[in-house]
Amino acid sequence: MNQFRKVGVIILAILSFAGYGFAQNNLTISGVVKDSLSGETLIGASIRLKGVKDHGTTTNAYGFYSISVPKGEYKLSASYVGFQSLNRTLSLNKNTRLDISLKADNALAEVVITSERRDLNVSSPQMGLAKLNMAEVENVPVLFGERDIIKTLQLLPGIKSAGEGNSGFYVRGGSIDHNLILLDEAPVYNASHLLGFFSTFNSDAIKDVAVYKGGMPSQYGGRLASVLDIRMNDGNQNDFGVEGGLGLISSRLKVEGPLVKDKSSFIISGRRTYADAFLKLASDTAIRNNVLYFYDLNAKLNYRLNQNNTLYLSGYFGRDELGLNKTFGFDWGNSTATLRWNHIFNNRLFSNTSLIYSNYNYVIQSFIEQSDFKVKSAIQDYNFKQDFQYSLNQHNLRFGLDVIHHTIRPGKITASEASSVNDDKIENRAGLETAIYISDEWKVNDKLNITYGLRGSAFSAFGPGNFKTYDQDGNTIATRTYAGGDIVKTYINPEPRISASYQLRKSSSIKASYTRNTQNLHLMSNSTSTSPTDLYVMNSNNIKPEVADQVALGYFRNFNNDRYEFSAEVYYKGMTNQIEYRSGTDLRGNNNVEGDLLYGDGRAYGLELFLKKRFGKLNGWVGYTLSRTERQFNDINGGSWFPSKQDRTHDVSIVGIYKASKRWTLSSTFVYNTGNAVTFPNGKYQLKGKTVFYYSERNADRLPDYHRLDLAATLEAKPGKKLQSSWSFGIYNLYNRQNTYTMDFRDDPDDATKTQAVRTTLFGIIPSVTWNFKF
Amino acid sequence: MKASYTNALKYIKSGAKLCMILLGAMLLASCEKVVDLDLKDSEPKLVIEADLSDLDTNHVVRISKTIPFTETNKFNGLSGAQVVLSAPGGQKITFTETETGVYKSPRFAGAPGTKYSLEVNVEGKVYTASSTMPLAVKLDSLGFRKLSFFGDEVIVPLAYYKDPKDAKNQYLFLIKAKDEEVQESLTEDRFTNGNDVTETLFTDLDDLAEGDSLEVEMRGLDLPVYKYYFAIAQISGEGGPPVAPSNPNSNFNNGALGIFNAHTTSKIKTVVKLK
Repeated sequence: MNQFRKVGVIILAILSFAGYGFAQNNLTISGVVKDSLSGETLIGASIRLKGVKDHGTTTNAYGFYSISVPKGEYKLSASYVGFQSLNRTLSLNKNTRLDISLKADNALAEVVITSERRDLNVSSPQMGLAKLNMAEVENVPVLFGERDIIKTLQLLPGIKSAGEGNSGFYVRGGSIDHNLILLDEAPVYNASHLLGFFSTFNSDAIKDVAVYKGGMPSQYGGRLASVLDIRMNDGNQNDFGVEGGLGLISSRLKVEGPLVKDKSSFIISGRRTYADAFLKLASDTAIRNNVLYFYDLNAKLNYRLNQNNTLYLSGYFGRDELGLNKTFGFDWGNSTATLRWNHIFNNRLFSNTSLIYSNYNYVIQSFIEQSDFKVKSAIQDYNFKQDFQYSLNQHNLRFGLDVIHHTIRPGKITASEASSVNDDKIENRAGLETAIYISDEWKVNDKLNITYGLRGSAFSAFGPGNFKTYDQDGNTIATRTYAGGDIVKTYINPEPRISASYQLRKSSSIKASYTRNTQNLHLMSNSTSTSPTDLYVMNSNNIKPEVADQVALGYFRNFNNDRYEFSAEVYYKGMTNQIEYRSGTDLRGNNNVEGDLLYGDGRAYGLELFLKKRFGKLNGWVGYTLSRTERQFNDINGGSWFPSKQDRTHDVSIVGIYKASKRWTLSSTFVYNTGNAVTFPNGKYQLKGKTVFYYSERNADRLPDYHRLDLAATLEAKPGKKLQSSWSFGIYNLYNRQNTYTMDFRDDPDDATKTQAVRTTLFGIIPSVTWNFKF
Repeated sequence: MKASYTNALKYIKSGAKLCMILLGAMLLASCEKVVDLDLKDSEPKLVIEADLSDLDTNHVVRISKTIPFTETNKFNGLSGAQVVLSAPGGQKITFTETETGVYKSPRFAGAPGTKYSLEVNVEGKVYTASSTMPLAVKLDSLGFRKLSFFGDEVIVPLAYYKDPKDAKNQYLFLIKAKDEEVQESLTEDRFTNGNDVTETLFTDLDDLAEGDSLEVEMRGLDLPVYKYYFAIAQISGEGGPPVAPSNPNSNFNNGALGIFNAHTTSKIKTVVKLK
């Protein structure tokens, strides 16, 4: 720890030499902002000082703020939407520590869907950031009534669902694996349950959700398209509480409370589906023996050592289990653990140190006599992060170090003695991803704000293992064997990030940004849907880091006393080293996957419009995206650019939430998007007496347009003495639109001389009901 | 085990189906509907399907052109091609057209372990492909076993064979039940190399009963041929989630579709009987 202090001091010294200088006559006021009732720290609460000099800031991910101003008399106001503002006057004549508790405003007759300082969207240089308040997640209608942060995010411009009811998403033309999904800083590699229909995030356990579609701050890296930063609740510091819900698909339960008054609290939240309970009702034993369910467990513990030191331990464990009548078993899931130490060095320097573990694995088992086997596959990370935040007059500095050790175990097969299957193992791969970063949010003057920074990222692939080189056709030319710890290949990438905002008038601004992102882990999937067996590969002698350069320009404006917010952003993103694989490649248990990969480029550009009403009885938003996403590979489509599966020309989402009365909240969403780019056959021929289709151009056709209207209503029961409860009713796809999930081509089963196109629709109209309780 | 592995993926597909059945039963089911689509028709493309086996027979090369999607399925044969097979050592065998687009060789048996090349000269262009007939692997016997899925008990055929240790082998099983429905199962020895293999042959035949006749032909395939068939299976969603469709990689040059397949063959016909 002493060493970190040293490192911190050295970095600060360097910074001061770099010309920042410590303004000696400024004083600092700093502290933590909390919810007075639960003791949860508030992320993004606004702190403003008025007096000799006006200055404002927001709390960081741990509720900490720090402001430096000249000595004098000030009026301080602290606010957080949904809470009563706190105003007080203070005379600042020495550095001051001020922890603030805000009271929740229960008298609100409206649903509030923003937690930000009201005009932060205009004044901050950050672009492409969308924040989600949990109130939105609770009120927006969703499939089967399962609250889902990812599905709510998919209603924002620039974020598109990967498919009907799917929790995979595309951001500005990126693939699913171009999103970095962090749960309390731990990367989650497969964020879906039940083959994609539910996300792994149980909204009960979640405090704050932020997604960066562009202008990614330099503390984040390792993915091309976006960061979804999810923070878990810390647990009520003052009272024990139990909350839960009974739904169609799953039930949830959350328990939280203090362990040591004012020092420590915990939260445990679980969820399990019980679709398979219905199987047990079947009279047929063969059906009864099938298994299908998932569960999630989130837990967090925090301990405040003293005013300046807090420890947090959080974890997630989730698993899907699928078993077919004792002949076959398949289970998969993520587990993550994060240990964090918040340390306030002084009123200007905030430090967070994290140790993180993340693992995703799956196990497939066959119990069939003589061909039994078991396949295990995993991806595992150990991660150390050191992050400093330093506030210095008009500068807010952020710098640190991020080191991740990745291990990929593509597949290990074991079988019994009697089985036809041999034991086998695809070689593990190990890599070290290191990044150092620094950024400065600089308030140049009242109008101009600039955030600029640099992230230096390095990736080294390590032995042991046999690393091959391949010819044009994927045949092995040479094999080189490396011993454990030998470096196979190192890639170094500087990633400059800059964004600026210029305030035009009090409530409008223009912003511009440029960011470069690189990605060292790649998900192998040219399939049309995600699967738990999708394979990750890392950089090697063959695979190079994916690189994306994005420029964006935006206009931001608030109306009517910040009641409405409007934004328009245009972006262009160029991507290199994109990966696909040759047709006919078998990714499973393949020692030569790298020989079957194809490398190409990508580009995405578009316009995103967003209008949101943030307060009032009726609120919600309208989002529209006009965009194009293309890829180019020398060996696909004759080398011409083709629309990728992420390409949807028009994308509209409308969300409305209406607080009809004290007890009733109504909401509705409407979505429309251009159908996916797909490849339809342009001819057919006979092979082995069967029909085979001929394809000429990649993704030159379109599925029919997708649209859907959903409704939801929440009824708060009359408050009982202890028990509070509510009912949520929902209707998914109200007008029963038969949206196309897939279009398949086949011989007519009734007349083999004809071929036909078959449309599969996944979800027609689906009602749902959930009962929630709290005591 | 690729077979088993592929089968595992079939199970996963079944699992996905099970999810849908469950969700569907509770709520409303997913549904399929035949729709009319306005598909663009490409120029007719050349297709060559050439088969050469180790049986003493008249080997067949079929040459045709693709037809529009909406047309009635038919073999759109192309006449007037010159088809010549060459074996190492300079031996050349000429095929003769017996009906439109169907070209047959004189009677002879291909030799396992030999690399053959085929040259097709048609419409002023020459297309060539080569394929190595693998060393023969014998299908030793057939067996049957009962398995249950979702409450349905089905009888599945088992194929027994000894996989050679020194070679990388690929197999295609053609399953003919009750003398008509032909089903295919594709496998390779990546996970079963050198073993006495019990191959479970999953088919869509869910009404196979004791006493039915069943014929299984096991073909030993050249790797590019296996990959070609695998790609076709992948596009149709067999053996995993469907992939973006594209034409499988042919071993013919000059942009011809189809495949030249020099394979061995081993066949058993039996009657379904549980132990």
